[in-house]
Amino acid sequence: MSLYQLHRAIFDYLRAGEVKAGAAPDFDLGRYDLTEEERKAFEAKDVAAVYQLGLHPVLLNGYCRAIGYGRDEYRDILSAHVVPETRTGRWHKDGA
Amino acid sequence: MAEITMAYCSSHAPMMAAARESAEEGQRNRFFAALEGIREDARRSGVQACVVVSNEHFTNFFLENFPQLCIGVGEQNWGPTEAWLPIDKAWIPGHPALANHLARSLLSAGFDPAFSHQLELDHGVMTVYHELDPDLQLPLVPIVENCAVHPMMPLRRCYEFGVALGQAVRSFTGLDRVALVGAGGLSHFIGVPRVGDIDEGFDRWFLDLLERGDVNGVLDMPDDELELAGNGAHEIRSWLAIAGAVAPARGRTLAYEPIYPWITGMGVSRFQLTP
Repeated sequence: MSLYQLHRAIFDYLRAGEVKAGAAPDFDLGRYDLTEEERKAFEAKDVAAVYQLGLHPVLLNGYCRAIGYGRDEYRDILSAHVVPETRTGRWHKDGA
Repeated sequence: MAEITMAYCSSHAPMMAAARESAEEGQRNRFFAALEGIREDARRSGVQACVVVSNEHFTNFFLENFPQLCIGVGEQNWGPTEAWLPIDKAWIPGHPALANHLARSLLSAGFDPAFSHQLELDHGVMTVYHELDPDLQLPLVPIVENCAVHPMMPLRRCYEFGVALGQAVRSFTGLDRVALVGAGGLSHFIGVPRVGDIDEGFDRWFLDLLERGDVNGVLDMPDDELELAGNGAHEIRSWLAIAGAVAPARGRTLAYEPIYPWITGMGVSRFQLTP
């Protein structure tokens, strides 16, 4: 139910421009109706956890940048969560 | 009546402006040469305004209210939003008469675009617009699409929207020469474990469809199949809208470069219009 709230919290966190790598942001998380799991993930800046919770990829990308992870770094973090893909697109079947 | 003087589509990775030099020199030169040629043609042909179809990146809208389409009808719009994007921050002139005509025409044609009297323009519009007019003076009607949050307009609907958009532009009597621009794509992965990957096979297949003037092969593609080419591949919706606007014109690929430092398959396709 609160996944929207997690999105709103991270969106506001980014928009506020209050996030700097390595600095504790002055951000009132209490305004958001988060589950304990969501709150812990947010407070710990746990990229893998917010990914697994279902944070939208566009927000996750911005969040990672804001907390100091480059794309190669967050790719490494997320690599443990790759789901093997067995499907192929029609462009493969067309010989591309 | 307005003529669609030129129609083209281009990828719009923010790094094409913010980290231009990170791309291999040959790749970036070939990509930008395509856009430079278009810019020169636009000047030569006296384009009076442009309509840029791009996509929303949580810049104007969030989950409380996320329109599938929104037309910027204001006198001006602000961009670029991103502080780190090395393009001058400016009020970009709009074209309210054209924009409102488009909105009314599209409503009459069965589409229900939202409208905004002031949009913020992020890299999605500004990178490509800046290549078309580095002076940021060409009147711009921005149209932002939902290419990120499910549910999205089906690809066929985006193409049909483009057909109606083309008819709307051509029925406008206030200008003579209008450029249509699609911005976004091609394959890329953002905020997911495969971030940085590019699906060259998809990109070349899609560009080939445009060159053959036969996009039917993609219009029925479900989103979960399209996403095999990356969540950023949803942005081909802008390309399909422009293809619809100028159908049956074929695209001509002016550049395609899989630029890994920009994490995007970078393409430029210009439609071959006949007077």
